[in-house]
Order: sequence, then structure tokens, then C-alpha cells
Amino acid sequence: MDEEILQDFLVEAGELVERLDEQLVELEHAPTDADLLNAIFRGFHTIKGGAGFLGVTPLIEVCHRAENVFDKIRNGDVSYDATAADVIMRAFDVISDYIGQLNDGERELGDADQSLLAELDQLWKPSKAVTSTEEPAQTDQPKLSLPEGVDPDGEISDDEFEALLSQRDALSADGGNEPKLQLPEGVDPDGEISDDEFEALLNQRDALSGGEADEPKLKLPEGVDPDGEISDDEFEALLQQRDSLTLDTPAAEPTPKKPPKPADKPAPASSAKPATTAGKDNAKDDKVQAKANVESTVRVDTRRLDEIMNLVGELVLVRNRLLTLRGSKQSEEDLSNAVANLDHVTTDLQSSVMKTRMQPVKKVFGRFPRVVRDLARKLGKEIELELKGEDTDLDKNLVEALADPLVHLVRNSVDHGIEMPDDREQDNKPRKGTVILAAEQEGDHILLSITDDGKGMDPDILRRKAVEKGMMDEVSASQLDDKAAFELILSAGFSTAEQVSDISGRGVGMDVVKSMITKLNGSIDIHSVLGEGTQIKIRVPLTLAILPTLMVSFDEDSYAIPLTSVQEIFDYDADLTNRIDGQMMVRLREKSIPLLFLQEWLNPDSAKENYLGDKVIIVSVGNQRAGLVVDQVDGQEEVVIKPLGVMMKHLQGYAGATITGNGNIALILDLPGVVERFQ
Amino acid sequence: MAVQSNLQSNNHQLEAFSLSDDEDEKYSGPSIRCVLFNLDSEIYGINVRKIREVLRVGHIRRVEGSAFNVLGVINVRGVIVTVVDTRMTYGLPSKPADDLSRIIIVELDTDNIVGMMVDSVEEVKDIPEKQFEAMSTTKEGASRYLQGIAHYKGDVIVLIDVDSMFSGKV
Repeated sequence: MDEEILQDFLVEAGELVERLDEQLVELEHAPTDADLLNAIFRGFHTIKGGAGFLGVTPLIEVCHRAENVFDKIRNGDVSYDATAADVIMRAFDVISDYIGQLNDGERELGDADQSLLAELDQLWKPSKAVTSTEEPAQTDQPKLSLPEGVDPDGEISDDEFEALLSQRDALSADGGNEPKLQLPEGVDPDGEISDDEFEALLNQRDALSGGEADEPKLKLPEGVDPDGEISDDEFEALLQQRDSLTLDTPAAEPTPKKPPKPADKPAPASSAKPATTAGKDNAKDDKVQAKANVESTVRVDTRRLDEIMNLVGELVLVRNRLLTLRGSKQSEEDLSNAVANLDHVTTDLQSSVMKTRMQPVKKVFGRFPRVVRDLARKLGKEIELELKGEDTDLDKNLVEALADPLVHLVRNSVDHGIEMPDDREQDNKPRKGTVILAAEQEGDHILLSITDDGKGMDPDILRRKAVEKGMMDEVSASQLDDKAAFELILSAGFSTAEQVSDISGRGVGMDVVKSMITKLNGSIDIHSVLGEGTQIKIRVPLTLAILPTLMVSFDEDSYAIPLTSVQEIFDYDADLTNRIDGQMMVRLREKSIPLLFLQEWLNPDSAKENYLGDKVIIVSVGNQRAGLVVDQVDGQEEVVIKPLGVMMKHLQGYAGATITGNGNIALILDLPGVVERFQ
Repeated sequence: MAVQSNLQSNNHQLEAFSLSDDEDEKYSGPSIRCVLFNLDSEIYGINVRKIREVLRVGHIRRVEGSAFNVLGVINVRGVIVTVVDTRMTYGLPSKPADDLSRIIIVELDTDNIVGMMVDSVEEVKDIPEKQFEAMSTTKEGASRYLQGIAHYKGDVIVLIDVDSMFSGKV
């Protein structure tokens, strides 16, 4: 197997699989959408083509079967019902699993599951002799017209059909009483001409020509005016030519639905077998066992690259300018101009390079239609998932990091949020619940929201639960406002689900979600109205690589605190502090906030007795606040986060390190870790 | 790469086992190129394949809460590198850096590098593989991270196995 070609294939197949995933779910809502069916058919076909070239036999087999099924579906022979959907979904899972295995460097895939293949065949084989679409003859239908420049998908018949169609149109225009043909319903006349359209038109023709129905071959029917420039004989000849062509074509070509009237005609050969054996022959040549270097690639618009190149050019110019200035005794003004220019160019360059890392949030959202569909079926619920703002860009790492928390939240909405259809009806709600997954940019943050119109949460139940679980006493529970009560679900070990299901409700979920989001310097906001639904909002910074921070220092050591968490800074005033239960607290607008003396931890040697800090920085960590006492606040700085080295990656309290303007290292504090350290 | 070469050299060690008193023959055959450094008066060696560079000691940024033998982090051209005190790792008392002190930057794999602070760096030497003996395993603690010992031209050279030294800590 050629590794390079394989890698290209995997990239392409990965995209196709992603798209198919969405399309298949979409298809359940619109099972007759011809464009969608064609797109899915082509998706499977393309994967099969690539797999065939590389000789990945099991993949070919499954794709081929799926392709057959969709060929039948788009021809209207088979309907895409729940059974079909389940089998197809399973086939799709197998396909994406195969591609996953190839991505992981596996080169010898196990044989395709025969029962699955058989089930796929079952979907269309038994019904093929029975089903037929009878198009009623309607003589007063508007004239058929198809647009120019229709894109044929490579099958000869389409080209031909297009030509024949215009010929026929010309004929019909001439012959006054010529019956006119009509496109079947649901077929987009602007789309590609597909076999089912062609067949439907044929059927109409047959129906119109009446008595000729028992004719074994398609011949010129009586009553059709043969006086046109191109005779119908020629039309028929071409038709037969087309039929025989399609019959002889190997299975890669979709087998056309045969005309319904001459029903005893031998069925078009279902020539699936030759292709599979051929695939096997190909496969044996390739026994490459080499572990693939899993390529991690990002697609970048060339215009963006040009932009970066341009900026790099600028950068070189500035460097040259500075180099000439270095030797000469130029005025300081020149120097500061050059430095200002440098500042400009690097800022632009930074944002341009950041943009290359940006990916649409669609990457994460794409998987949800399937997740929701499967869950809804399992639970017997009716749920519609709406995706909004899929084109919102965010950093590649962030896209990956957000996937798991979002899956969890969406599962929660489906499992706990949306009620059973009958219950919904009783509450005067539509049977079908709606879950909305939305993304939008909000300044330098991305706002993700998961909204459902389910039963919402009852803050009183949550308060009671918190007391039952011993998380707090009754008094403090009753003092929680609704918002704080909702946030209880984010605490560890808090699950209100009566029954633990394998979907959600293990009580380990939401606190993990919260810690993952906090790790991304994000925040979670819960809003819920009992009986109306719940909305969970997640805010995360646009990028993980660059972080606006507040620099603080002790003696010579500087530390960076993520600015998103910083709420306010004020001078340390001993009069405002109290020692409550061994913990120093500061009073701020009628609230007491615990003080953390960073010095005690970060610089214990120099920690003095009765140390009085200089400044207090109020930070919000998750849903609580804390006051960090520091020596000195140096100001705001945007820093590039670098990982701490070997043996330090899991050190609590640090998010990484960065290099400051003077070349020193500043440690970036991870506030949740810091707070935990002090507890 | 480096792991492969280690495997290879181990094989050679087995094949090239011969007893001869002849000096020339004693030092012939495949050899391991080592960077030799000192801790107190002992000589240690690290395979050059594992070494990226040797640096003078600059400012080491302390990281509170790290392991006992970690001195801190340094900035090596934009990469944050952990520096361990090799003395502490081998149970010697720590001592402040002086003019001779060096930081050996060791490559664990393509993504991970680590700095080892040593008392001084001597030279780069080719040491015949057959000179190396496997460490006796009588003293568990002391033989940790050691790949072998060589008697070479009157010196005793201890070859350090950096991979095992940092295994599981990356």
C-alpha cells in the first residue's frame, strides 16, 4: 500500500465520513430528498473508490453494499425507513471504524462482518422485483424542461439522457398532441439528472404509450409523431443502448430500476460479487505493516499564507532597518519608529498565524446529530437538534478539548432535560423536544450554549439534594439563590437522577465537565426555568496559545495570572481583614472573601511573620472567589503559553511558563490548582 | 533512534566479548562515543547521541513544589527546560553552581529535553563497548539509572542510562 496515497485517502475519507455522519441523520428527517440521497451515494462511492485503489477489501465490501442500498433508495425502489436507517448506521460505524484503524496505523483490517453485509443486501434485494413507482399518466402536465450545463456524475446515461431529453422536447414542441412528461415529485429539476428521474420519465412514457406495455423491449410506441428531425426509433435505440450499457457495467455503476410495465423482463443483474473478488485480489498485494505516522494537518487558505508571507517580508524589512540603525548614530526617533513598526508587524503576524490554527466549530458539532439521534431512539424520545453558528472559528486545540464536555452536556439535555413524548403532550408541549447547540463569538471569547425545552431544573430539589448528600447544612442551602442552586450540579458527586443509566447520571459527569472547562480558562453559566427548559452557556477564550495575563512578582520571581479570572485589584488593608476559623478573610462590599497568601507557597523561605502583602487581587475560580495577596503587581501582558518541562507537567498550581520581555521565565498560575493547594 | 542504537550496542557487547591482555586489541572494536563529566571526583559518561548541547549555568528559575532533585527551569531559545541536579539524583549533597558547572541538555525523545546540572564537563571520548561491564545489582539503589561501568586507561567511567533516569517522568 502506498503510504502517501493512503494518507491522502485517509484525509479525504475522514472528511467524507464526517459529512456522511451529518447527512445520514439529516436523511432521517427528509428520507426522499434526492440531493441528499445522491450526496450520500456519492460519499460511499468515493470512499469505495479510494479503498479499491488501495485494496482495502473489507472497506470496499461494506461501502459497496451501502452504495447499492442507496442506489435503490434514490431510485425510489426502497424507502429509507427505521430498519434501513439502523443497518446503514451500523454499516457507517463499521466504515468509520475501518478508517479509524487505518489512521491508527493498522494495515490489515479484519474481514467485514458477513451478517452486516447480508443485512445490507437484504435491504434491497427482496423488494426489488415488487416495488415500482407508478406515475399516473397526466397529459396536461407542463412541458418538461431541464437547465443547460447540468453536471452529469460521470455515467454515460446521464449525458445521453440530457441529449435525448432536449431532442424530445423539440419533438414535443412540434407535435401538438404529443403528451408531455413530468418530473417526479421531490426531484429537483436544477440538480443532477439521476437514474430515478430518468426512470420515472421512462415510466411516464410507458404509461402514456398504453398498449405497448407488454412489449418486451422498449420500442417506438404508436401515437408518437415520428416526423421530427430525430426519430423516436433513434431515441429507442439509444435507450436500449443505455440499458445494455448499464447492465454490462460492473457493480461500481448503479443498477438502474427497470421499467415497471414489462415486469417479467429479467431483473438487472445485481453484479455485486465480481467487485468484491476483484477487491480481494488487490488486497493481497499490500501487506504493509509499517506504523503510519499519523499526520496531523490543518487546511489553510492560501490567501492566508500569502498574508503571512507578506508580513514576514515586512518583518525582514524592519530587521534590516534596525541593523542599519545599530551601527550608526541615528537619532532616537528613527529607532523608536523602527521599534513601533516592529510592534505593528509582530502583532499582525501573530494574529495571522493564529488564524491558521482556527477551525470552524462544525468539527465538534458535526458529531452531535448522530449522538442525539442514537440517544433519542434508545430512550424512546423525539428530539430535534438544531445547530447554530457552526462556522464560528476557534483554535484547533480548543476544538478538540471541547468535544468531550459538549458531548456530556448534550447527552444530559437529551437524557435528563427532554421529557418523554407523552409527558410533553400532557404539558401542552410539542411531542418533539428541541435541543439547540449554538456557538458565537463574543469579543475575545467563544460562547457555546446548549439549550433544551425540556422540564428544567427545580432549585428546591437541588437544595434538598445538597443537604441529603451532606454537602451543606440546611441553613446555607436555603440561602443559595436559584443560580447558585443550579450550579450545585457542577459539584463532584452530585447527581439527581433517580436511576443511574449508562447514558448519564453517574454523578461524575458535570464536575468533570466543569474542571475541563475551567482548565481551558472558561466558565459555565446555568440558567433553568422549571417546566420550560435549561440553558447552559460555556465561555472559552478564542485561543489557548496566547493568554492575556496580569503579571505579579515576589522579589525577582514573576508570575502570570490569567486575566480572565481577575475581577479587581486593591491595596491590602489590614483593617479590612479578619481571621475567621483560621482563615484570613477580606471584607469586600459586605462579602467576605478568603485570602490566599501566595508568598507562603511560592516563596516560603522569605515568608515573614505577620507578612502584610501589598496588593489583593480578587479572582473568580469556578463559582467562588478568592483574594490573592501579592507583593507587587507589574501590569498586564499577553503571554505565549509554553509547557513546563519534564517532571513538571503535572505540578499542581501551574498552567505553564512563559518568557517575559527581559528574557526571564515567568510561571503561569493555574488558579483552580492554586486554590486547591491552599485548601 | 537513540533507543535503537542502545539496542544495537547491547548486541555488540555480547558479540564482542573476548579476553585479551593486548592493549591495542583491548581498545579496538566498536565503541560508544561519550560525553564525560564529573560529579566530585567521579567520572560519568552519557552517550553523545542523547545529548543536544552543553550550556553554561545561567539563571535557573525555581519552581516551588517540584521534586527534590529539580533545580528549576531555564529558557533554552524559547523552550522551557527542566534542570535536574544530577548530584542529588545520585545521592550526593547539593552544591551551588560555580564557573565549571555545566548543564547538559539531554534529548529523551523528539519532544522532551531535560537539563542535567553537573560539576564540570571534561571531554568527548570513544570508549570501546567491550570495556563496559554491566553493573552488579547488589546495591539496588545505587545501580539505578546506570547502564554500565568501564575501566578505560586507568579511569573508571560510569555510563548513565538517561532513558531510565527519566522514564515515567516525561
